[in-house]
Amino acid sequence: MSLDPSAILVILPEILLVVLAGVVLVLDLALKDEQRRLIGWVTAGGLLFVIIPLLFFFRPGDNPTLYWGGAIRVDWLSFVFKLLAFFGAAITAILAMDYEVIGKRGELYLLLIISTLGMSVMVMATDLILLYVAIETTSIPLYALAGMRTKSDKSVESGFKYLLFGAMASAIMLYGFSLLYGMTGQTNIYALAELFQQAELSSSPMLYGSAIIILVGFTFKISAAPMHFWAPDVYEGAPTPIAGFLSTSSKAAGFAVLLRVFLVAFPEYAPQWGTALAVISTVTMTIGNMIALAQKNIKRLLAYSSIAHAGYALIGVSVASVLGVTSVAYYMIAYLATNLAAFGVVAIYGRIAGSDEISSYAGMSRRSPTLALVMLVAFLSLAGMPPFGGFIAKVFVFAAAINAGLIWLAVVGVLNSIIGLYYYLTVLKVVYLHRSENDEVPLTISKSSGFALGLLVVAILLIGTVFAPWFNWAAQAALGL
Amino acid sequence: MIPDIVLFIILALVAVASAVGMLFSKNAIYSALNLILNFSSVAVLYLILGAPFIALAQVTVYAGAIMVLFLFVIMLLGAERLRRSETLPYQQPVSIILAAILAVVAIYALLFRPLGIEAASVANPDFSSPAAMAEMLFNEYLLPFEVTSILLLVAMIGAIVLTRKRQRRVQR
Repeated sequence: MSLDPSAILVILPEILLVVLAGVVLVLDLALKDEQRRLIGWVTAGGLLFVIIPLLFFFRPGDNPTLYWGGAIRVDWLSFVFKLLAFFGAAITAILAMDYEVIGKRGELYLLLIISTLGMSVMVMATDLILLYVAIETTSIPLYALAGMRTKSDKSVESGFKYLLFGAMASAIMLYGFSLLYGMTGQTNIYALAELFQQAELSSSPMLYGSAIIILVGFTFKISAAPMHFWAPDVYEGAPTPIAGFLSTSSKAAGFAVLLRVFLVAFPEYAPQWGTALAVISTVTMTIGNMIALAQKNIKRLLAYSSIAHAGYALIGVSVASVLGVTSVAYYMIAYLATNLAAFGVVAIYGRIAGSDEISSYAGMSRRSPTLALVMLVAFLSLAGMPPFGGFIAKVFVFAAAINAGLIWLAVVGVLNSIIGLYYYLTVLKVVYLHRSENDEVPLTISKSSGFALGLLVVAILLIGTVFAPWFNWAAQAALGL
Repeated sequence: MIPDIVLFIILALVAVASAVGMLFSKNAIYSALNLILNFSSVAVLYLILGAPFIALAQVTVYAGAIMVLFLFVIMLLGAERLRRSETLPYQQPVSIILAAILAVVAIYALLFRPLGIEAASVANPDFSSPAAMAEMLFNEYLLPFEVTSILLLVAMIGAIVLTRKRQRRVQR
């Protein structure tokens, strides 16, 4: 195989990210302390510089194409999830600029960029080896990012916990991959899919065993039950913008991989793993929402809420239909914008108030009506209220379940949304109705954070109202799988 | 054939003896040295099987790099001077039971092959030759190879970020 230019062109966004990472590292050395905020803008601008050509010139064609010996597949699924990862990283970079001390360290942005690079390879990979390497490239910078505030015990605990859980989960997943390779001698998931249609392999108990083991690794990445225990502790201790990144881009990439591997490699067994995922989804939603009810800390609350959201999105995976995949992709688009906004508000307010307790949000609406409004939009969207993005996303997911005859699953989802609404509204009640002695002290929001939040609010509204283009993207992603 | 078998028996005895020695030596350094011996004898076994690449990887990665790491940890933590810590009371019976289960399962799998997996056949002579490996690595798996390089770099940067003490820069 000689390198043809088109193969290089396909991974051009990834190459640009590597270059950007190098630029950030050099800037960290060259700039003085007070100029370091610039690095955040450079990161966000660089990501934008990658997004725009991707969006306009590198759209995948109608027929998916394979490159690099079949290890990479350029289709709409990878396109959509790649854009999500880049967008999430750009917003995170802007929000991270205001974070004290570590926001001025170039390494933060470098780790962020490389993690994004890993996600972008992850969603394209069709070869188990490349997939594993990409998952690690995503995770290892995230471990370091979560523990980056080395002065804070919570942050160190967060990074360490994430590392231990993550390493264990990927070891188990890798074991599953190795079993698949041992059975078939293949690592390409499309080649695996062909082999599994043969009779003697399809009844092998090894196949079920390895599928379950692989599922363990994937459910860890999307923090679904029973692999969700890490999420609250890690989110609580990690720097807030990073927690936002963990719960959005990282989770979205995890869903892309879950969809691709299970729908492509094991379509014959969709009834079996579909049932398993439906059960996991029910448990995830219920656990997430129930425990969220009791939380006093806003970051832990958002962590449990993000577990619950993984449960809603899993409904779409478990039905294993085109509509199901569409709904998952749409859910991830809406969820990414919404949850980034929620974590953005928490990051800004937490820095000023010096506390992430929900009680400290009393009087926030008087101190900064705009910030409170952003929070209102984000939380109502998380709860699934129209006209925000979260509403449409939930509708599609439940529609997919009903369409596949899983009415009980849709009912469970709706009941869970109602529980969710309760605790989101409780927080909003504290924000709008409770008073505190600091009511008169106005909050100042930096221009950069304001810009990021404004962008996200517009995105949430657009996803919730003008949903045709996004829905088309999601549908094409599902068809091209 | 016969010299092969003689060589195999000697190496197998060395490997098993060094593994047992590693488990039972009181001093952590002796354990580590026994482990090196074990790795090296297994490496020669790979050579006999006609897998030079795996043999050399075994020597460089396991007997070389990983053992250096072990020795560093032993040295830095002073593990060779640690007193024998108390074992948990249930540890011994549990370990014996688990080891027995493992042995039974292994023997069962070896003798009856319940999953219908056939015995390993002799590999194609150039299956794992360094040239074949290299050709595969730099053609078919070039992209994972390159991504791995980034992965290793970022792991290094991450470790430095987390451990380095950051000096305040003197304001000029």
